[in-house]
Amino acid sequence: MLPIAYSELAQIFRNRTVLISNLIMPLAISAFFIYRRDSFIALGSAGYIAAVLVFTIGAFSLYTTAVTTLAARRQDLFLKRLRSTTAGDATILSGLTLPVAGVALVQVMVVLGAFAAVTGRPADLALLVVGILSAFVMMLALAMATAGLTGSPEQAQVTTLPLSLTTIGVATWVGITGTEDLTVLKRLLPGGSATELIVNTWNGGVPPAQSLLLLGPILAWVVVAVVLALRLFRWEPRR
Amino acid sequence: MENSSRAVIDVDRLNISYGDFHAVKDLSFRVEQGELYALLGTNGAGKTSALEAVEGHRRVSSGTVRVFGEKPADRRAVRHRMGIMLQESGFSADLTVAESVRLIGRLSGRSDSVDRVLGTVDLNRKADVRVGQLSGGEKRRLDFATAVYGRPELIFLDEPTTGLDIQSRDALWAAVRELRGNGSTIVLTTHYLEEAQQYADRIGLMHRGTFRREGTVSELTRRLPAAIRFALSPTTTPVPPIGTRATDGRVYVAETFQLQADLKVLLDWAAAHDVELLDLSAAPTRLDDVFRSIESDPAPALNPTR
Repeated sequence: MLPIAYSELAQIFRNRTVLISNLIMPLAISAFFIYRRDSFIALGSAGYIAAVLVFTIGAFSLYTTAVTTLAARRQDLFLKRLRSTTAGDATILSGLTLPVAGVALVQVMVVLGAFAAVTGRPADLALLVVGILSAFVMMLALAMATAGLTGSPEQAQVTTLPLSLTTIGVATWVGITGTEDLTVLKRLLPGGSATELIVNTWNGGVPPAQSLLLLGPILAWVVVAVVLALRLFRWEPRR
Repeated sequence: MENSSRAVIDVDRLNISYGDFHAVKDLSFRVEQGELYALLGTNGAGKTSALEAVEGHRRVSSGTVRVFGEKPADRRAVRHRMGIMLQESGFSADLTVAESVRLIGRLSGRSDSVDRVLGTVDLNRKADVRVGQLSGGEKRRLDFATAVYGRPELIFLDEPTTGLDIQSRDALWAAVRELRGNGSTIVLTTHYLEEAQQYADRIGLMHRGTFRREGTVSELTRRLPAAIRFALSPTTTPVPPIGTRATDGRVYVAETFQLQADLKVLLDWAAAHDVELLDLSAAPTRLDDVFRSIESDPAPALNPTR
């Protein structure tokens, strides 16, 4: 897996398009949120900003980059090439997505670290990490499913939009309005429970056991995404 | 099933369907250790599907495929023993040539030197160039380099010389000869029939999903007649002992399964009658002729190795 991951990391940093649209842009958006934090905290809370930052990076740096990467590698027949070796399918997918996930995690750590430096530490760091990781696992699984519907890296710009915008929109909606009304709907939407979990762990005031229950809908989305990925993912371009 | 102890590849009644389309029908063949086996076919004959099934890239609808006695889809069991040169590039444009060989080499389960492998295809000077900047021919050479990394026991060459200049072709075939000298088994598909004719030990000719011919070049070509062509001057009166007059009235064509004997009869006749044979040529049957014949041939499909 590591040779694949290393080559993938090199490719990410050599491709200017990927670097700018999927790595630099989320950082720029994050910087804007942190710079205008007082306005956004007035709108929701510090936890709301943290959730939006997580899902901005999750949607662009992780989800969109992963879909683009998998579509590009399939179109180039690079996936088929890798399958000509001793590497198993799980190893190939892990190797291809590990650098994307790693870069996204580093971005989240840097961005939330900067945010914490100017607004104060999160109330429950350990549970916040669990929330971020579970959200990223969900986004990665959804990326594999979406890659099955994406024929080329150009198409990825379109096929990733619905889910990217939905998750950021849900994070904004849930982050600002909370889950006191329309609770079930908000928690079942992709990113809804994760947003609530991040808001709770950043702001504090909610018992950890209650927040942990929010992992249920997140894991359900992971299962749905994995099932979809198993059905939809293709290793070679359609002929 | 027959004893297949020396069979590197053993395909038995392979069928591959895509929906209602039956791409490969009851295909059976074996490739013995050390052989160079050419899988040829008309467009859409099903050779790519068959080859991909043997490589482990495609699921079969029915039948069995064994490579080294194992299922080819079992990568851990067989891939370290085989190298695959794909029909299309399959490299990432942003990796360099050396990085590409190193990556595929490390995943191949074999050990070798990147420099040595690149030297085989004269790509040392391009080692630090990104794959996206290579020409089509250079990409084919890179593909070949990754396939032969670590000198695998079995090598699949899918259209290996397409896009290569003559020097590169010669270098590639020289490398193949060296690999065969080390005992490697080669499975080749190509549209260059002269290459198959020159290098293959045995050839399987596919048409509409199954074999129409299989055998050595001489076994395949002996089924069709060779041709003797000559012309006579308009003033020549004796009638030649062989050949039929072509439409222009001067050129004669004789199709024969006994090229040497019939040619001698013709030359003896010409000497006896003091006749000059103009534009005389005697051409043995070529693989091209066999290839052309299978499309019009109503003969049933062969199943020669079972």
